[in-house]
Amino acid sequence: MRKFTLKWPLITTASLLATFIFLVPLYGATLFSFKGNGGKGHSWVNYQWLIHADGFYPSLFTSLKLAVLAAALNLLLMVPTMVYLNLKGQRFKSLVDFLCILPLIIPVVSLAIGAQVAMPKFLQNTQYELVFFFVIIALPYTYRALDTSLQTVALKTLVEASRSLGASWTRTIIRVIVPAIRSGITGALFLTFALSIGEYTITSLLHWETFPTWTVVAAQQNILGAIAISVFSFVGAIALLSAIALFSKRGSQRVEVEE
Amino acid sequence: MSKKDRTSSTLELRGVSRHFGPVKALDGLDLTVNPGELVALLGPSGCGKTTALRIVAGLEVATAGELLVNGERYNETPANHRDMGMVFQSYSLFPNLTVSENIDYGLRARKVDSDKRAKRVTEMLELVSLESKAKAYPHQLSGGQQQRVALARALAIQPRVLLLDEPLSALDAQVRSQIREEIRRIQLDLGITTLFVTHDQEEAMAISDRVGVMSHGKLEQIDKPIALYNNPATPFVASFVGLANRIPAEITAKGKARVLNQKVNISGSAEVFVEGEKVNVIIRPESLELVSESDADATRGIVALKSFLGPLTKVGIAVEGAPLIHLHISSREVRKLEIGEKIAFKISSDEVMAERA
Repeated sequence: MRKFTLKWPLITTASLLATFIFLVPLYGATLFSFKGNGGKGHSWVNYQWLIHADGFYPSLFTSLKLAVLAAALNLLLMVPTMVYLNLKGQRFKSLVDFLCILPLIIPVVSLAIGAQVAMPKFLQNTQYELVFFFVIIALPYTYRALDTSLQTVALKTLVEASRSLGASWTRTIIRVIVPAIRSGITGALFLTFALSIGEYTITSLLHWETFPTWTVVAAQQNILGAIAISVFSFVGAIALLSAIALFSKRGSQRVEVEE
Repeated sequence: MSKKDRTSSTLELRGVSRHFGPVKALDGLDLTVNPGELVALLGPSGCGKTTALRIVAGLEVATAGELLVNGERYNETPANHRDMGMVFQSYSLFPNLTVSENIDYGLRARKVDSDKRAKRVTEMLELVSLESKAKAYPHQLSGGQQQRVALARALAIQPRVLLLDEPLSALDAQVRSQIREEIRRIQLDLGITTLFVTHDQEEAMAISDRVGVMSHGKLEQIDKPIALYNNPATPFVASFVGLANRIPAEITAKGKARVLNQKVNISGSAEVFVEGEKVNVIIRPESLELVSESDADATRGIVALKSFLGPLTKVGIAVEGAPLIHLHISSREVRKLEIGEKIAFKISSDEVMAERA
């Protein structure tokens, strides 16, 4: 006779409960975001308000632009660094690991004010200074995503094979290493993008307007509109995550490790 | 591709050393590989053979000495400008590229015209008989196929020297033998200068023009396989190449010793022994022969072990005051021998090698 076990009922209950806790507020928010004027009936009025609100497009565009720049800069900085650390710079790895964790330890206020003072003057006066802050706060996550990915491939022999075939370092990184660690790069890209587009504290402290800071101000004028903003942000984030996951899956189908 | 496609190169290592802190991985290696020759570097793990190969490939930097290709110094030339084709133990195919793209990789890096590249890739696929796998990815191939692709990829760039770093170690016995013969066939066909590193003496002996035996970062001896086997220069070579018995003996006079109550002549060693000195003599199994028990000069023992090796069987004989002594006997004859049976044998070789005990 099959032995009765509590394992599966417990897992099922926990999963259902977690789904319930996650979905109920989302369902509620979606429902409320479609409430009409004065909370009556159902309509698109809150979404119409959102897309016609002052500052919606500029702040969204600014956030997207800064997030793309931060993700690109982060990868440009971190991919060669991580490759170097894993190939030749093992002795520096713990130091770099420690440096990359610092953004999690240092209070954001200290980081924002302190790092801004250290930034070149021409950057201090532009919103592009935020790109560097976004890169800094994403470091702990990108370091780990890339490092884990690099550990799973036979990096040294792939590099040596490429070099012995006459390839330069640039070609080796672009044609061999990047495809081999595509999943790690995608993860790092997504994390940096997500952190950048949702960053509020530093942006607010430095008095720049991005989508999160605009949202806070806009939400004070229209409570149902604020709910529509959060549903819009959530759907946008899910769409982005799915697109990246799809891209990563396609890549990983080709990038099977041979050993 | 034929021999005319490329002029073979001469590879020379002059006093090449590589030190890792206090460890001398390579200690003044002198080696010349003649044009079109296949030389194997053979030795136990840590003897420096792979370090030597990596220095030639430019993946390791020599602490001292000179590396020359056709007389031109290569020490400072970066790996990607050396024109050396290398085949690795772990295949090292690029997992995101197809077989064709892998073979094409080195040609693209050299900015070869697309027409020439396509032609070359087709030639290489034919050379390793993998035309049907051109569009396959490495993970869709067997180990043997992957290694053939790696070989084709290394040869596609028409290298000055082909470097093989234990290319057969990851393959099973049957495929290993097949790929080994294929490597030799292609090497002879192309006439390419080849340096082959292995710890497997059978592999080295089977396909090499010359074999260099290495120990502790030094080349102990380099010679044709048969010469290496029959005339080892040092006790290490004698014991590392082929099976050898190390039997305690005593020097009875200059160049003479007594072993297992038999008299033998000592040769092949630069060492000078004094009368009465305890030594070990190195005797190959085929230098021992079974004789009649009535032979007064024979050594007697008991059959302790029988290992079937195909046409020959390795027989271990327990002799008082000596380690287990091995003989090779025809498998047909060995049927008559039983474990525990008394047996008599003699040393048939005129000369044996000795080392200090």
